[in-house]
Amino acid sequence: MTYRTQNVAFPYFVVALLLFGLQVIVGLWLAINYFFTVPQDVVNVFSFATARAMHTNLAVLWLLLGFMGSTFYMVPEETESELAWPKLAVAQLVILSLTGVTALVGFLFGWTQGRPLLEIPFTLDVVIVIGVLMFLANIGTTMIRAKRWTATQGSLLAGLVFLALMYLFGMPFYKNLAVDWYYWWWVIHLWVEGAWELIAAALTAFILMKLTGVDRKVVEKWLYVELGLFLFTGIAGTGHHYYWLGAPKYWLWVGGIFSALEPLPILLMVVDTLRDVRKRTKPLEPKLTWVYLIGMIILHFIGAGLFGFAHTLPGINYYTHGSQVTVSHGHLAFFGAYVLLNLTFFYFAIPRLKGLPGNNYDERAGHWGFWMMSLGVVGMSLAFAVAGVLQSYLERMMGQSYMLSQEPIRFWMFVVFLHGLIVVAGVFITIKHLLTLKPAPAGAGGGAGS
Amino acid sequence: MTEKAAKWIFWLGTLSSLVLFLVLTVDTHSQFAALTHADQLDEQVIAGKRAFEHYNCNDCHTILGFGGYYAPDLTRAYTRLGSDTIRRRLAAPDVAFADSYRKMPQQNLSEQEIADIVAFFRWVSEIDNHDWPPQHSEARWKRSTERLMAGAVLSPGAALINQEDCLTCHALGDRGEKIGGRLEWIGSRRNSAWIAEYLANPEAFAPGTEMPSFEHLSGEQRLMIGEFIVSLDTAEGR
Ligand code: HEC
Ligand code: HEC
Ligand code: HEM
Ligand code: HEM
Ligand SMILES: [Fe+2]
Repeated sequence: MTYRTQNVAFPYFVVALLLFGLQVIVGLWLAINYFFTVPQDVVNVFSFATARAMHTNLAVLWLLLGFMGSTFYMVPEETESELAWPKLAVAQLVILSLTGVTALVGFLFGWTQGRPLLEIPFTLDVVIVIGVLMFLANIGTTMIRAKRWTATQGSLLAGLVFLALMYLFGMPFYKNLAVDWYYWWWVIHLWVEGAWELIAAALTAFILMKLTGVDRKVVEKWLYVELGLFLFTGIAGTGHHYYWLGAPKYWLWVGGIFSALEPLPILLMVVDTLRDVRKRTKPLEPKLTWVYLIGMIILHFIGAGLFGFAHTLPGINYYTHGSQVTVSHGHLAFFGAYVLLNLTFFYFAIPRLKGLPGNNYDERAGHWGFWMMSLGVVGMSLAFAVAGVLQSYLERMMGQSYMLSQEPIRFWMFVVFLHGLIVVAGVFITIKHLLTLKPAPAGAGGGAGS
Repeated sequence: MTEKAAKWIFWLGTLSSLVLFLVLTVDTHSQFAALTHADQLDEQVIAGKRAFEHYNCNDCHTILGFGGYYAPDLTRAYTRLGSDTIRRRLAAPDVAFADSYRKMPQQNLSEQEIADIVAFFRWVSEIDNHDWPPQHSEARWKRSTERLMAGAVLSPGAALINQEDCLTCHALGDRGEKIGGRLEWIGSRRNSAWIAEYLANPEAFAPGTEMPSFEHLSGEQRLMIGEFIVSLDTAEGR
């Protein structure tokens, strides 16, 4: 750490990690609902619907808080200046956390906008918009005052503004259900396959430059190409969600073709990362940070690129749409791309914030955390995938009624649950490890600089 | 590759996709009215959508394939179940799903809210969405029923269904009303013995239903009706 105000990142990381822990516990409860008959009296007060709203909103909330913290860490170093208003950054964290907690408690009492993933009621949406405006003003002002523009921070800022703009489309009440879903995807798809990818590319480029010592010119040149391909395939690729909602038939072509190309920029990101690693001028230390970085690009490619491609063509999507196949892809993609991105950044930033000698740390428990989480999520996603293929075959192709086709699926959801237990254990080991990082034991590795 | 070329890729890629996307968005809006029958989108349908959101139904059920995957898709709920079947499930899910391994919460909806939600489902069921979901394709049901009717000498079960006016409430092929469930859909989830028993005393199976008792038919006749309904199942290989 070179700038005092980078410190505001740490409380963001702490809140994000705690919410992550809560999110996966609620995930276990969702899986239980699938194989165990929850009694009517319990369902009446705390239903699957409420728990699902909590699980998904917690996911989005903590990932966004993690991005914000990472941004506050990165921007001073990129601009070579202190943050414009560090106190505002703290106030913003308080506002957003309180809004998040209010929303979660509100769900328990039925206060919801009732649209999946966007359940947060309009009133609270307005508070969130205020919080995000504070955020954009803070980093925008820092960048403008510093007058030191880099492609890396440019892409980060573009991603964040894009993200904030798209959120607005999810706020109003739409009378027409088809129009409602049309714009719902402007939030969900254009986030994870647009804005968030820009943020991911920027944060990854930043970490790579710092860790490998590879020349900024090389990294940023390829960053332009990555971003161009992400947006070229991702924007029109939104059409892969417009097949069956009452939109014209040309979306089957546009959505199918553009989204089929979406794995390319992800693959390019893998290639770029591996090239930077090969050309590094610094040692790969500490090892765990690298395990995370490499694990992230691989699972990002498998979860988003391969699992996404598997059901993106209209001929396949007709049978898999809205089944457990979607859930399988959703989990592996979110985990591989954005959970691991956040954790990679935390492992990069926290030793520096704490000023641990040589930016190194005692990494032993962290490896357990990584492997339990990653193998757990991979196993879970495979079990979701089996359930989804069964559902697509029995319900959609054979024409069995939904409840009949769910019977064999209950077993696979039990398998999901078992893997979920491993995930939860891994998550808690990781949280504890990150929040109590200790200096590396004597003799283990030298310094990695900056 | 030079940095200049990289920047070109960025701007060309981004802008071309953006322009295409925005143009198609405008065009899609001009077609939504026809594809979704927006002229039938009246106040009651909108009230139904609000109620559907108020009770967070969508985090258990998908609709148009979006939402939670915990419960049946509701895109064609009206086509498949009919108005009174939906009404009874919403009024008393605890009773309707008492024997099920998966429950739906009793949220004490008012009569008005239920009627609004039924109107909403009815409107949704007519959205032209390229015949998704496949398992609830009305076109497929009608085709297969037509084939069945053309192929067989009119079965005694089918004759009884005509005679007893079941189609004043149930849909079958191209005919019938949507108060009770579509017979093809019933056939895909029930067996003939169960149906025979049900016909004798619907109230025992579905307390509060509008379906009358057909006790006056003999057990054998009720079984023939059941066999006919089960033969409508599209999964039977047609
Ligand atoms: C906790 C999850 C949950 C919530 C919330 C929920 N449902 Fe259900 N619903 C179910 C389940 C599970 C079934 C299927 C039960 C069975 O068939 O055994 C069901 C069945 C139905 C059915 C019959 C579908 C069919 O094909 O048989 C309708 C209609 C329905 N729900 C409408 C609604 C509406 C409207 C709401 C909101 C007011 C709602 N549900 C809220 C879980 C839920
Ligand atoms: C007055 C309208 C009405 C008439 C006439 C009627 N039904 Fe029904 N029927 C219904 C309704 C409504 C239900 C839904 C009950 C419920 O809520 O589960 C139903 C349910 C059923 C079911 C059970 C569906 C299931 O899977 O749970 C069968 C089978 C059935 N009807 C067959 C028939 C047959 C055969 C006839 C003629 C002999 C007939 N019905 C006449 C309204 C009617
Ligand atoms: C990191 C990037 C990605 C993330 C986090 C992600 C996440 C998700 C999630 C959560 C859903 C479910 C949304 C819902 O209906 O509730 C979804 C759906 C979908 N995703 Fe992705 N995704 C990513 C990238 C991709 C890519 C690159 C492709 C295509 C190549 C793709 C193809 C699809 C398709 C086709 C669906 C719709 C499934 C359906 O019809 O039900 N995704 N994605
Ligand atoms: C213990 C681990 C976890 C378990 C057991 C679990 C389980 C579940 C279940 C059962 C659902 C409901 C799917 C449905 O509607 O039927 C769900 C949804 C979802 N979960 Fe998880 N989850 C876990 C961890 C995670 C993680 C780490 C993330 C990513 C940040 C995540 C993101 C999501 C998302 C985005 C959805 C909505 C999916 C969609 O609409 O397709 N979950 N989860
Ligand atoms: Fe998408």
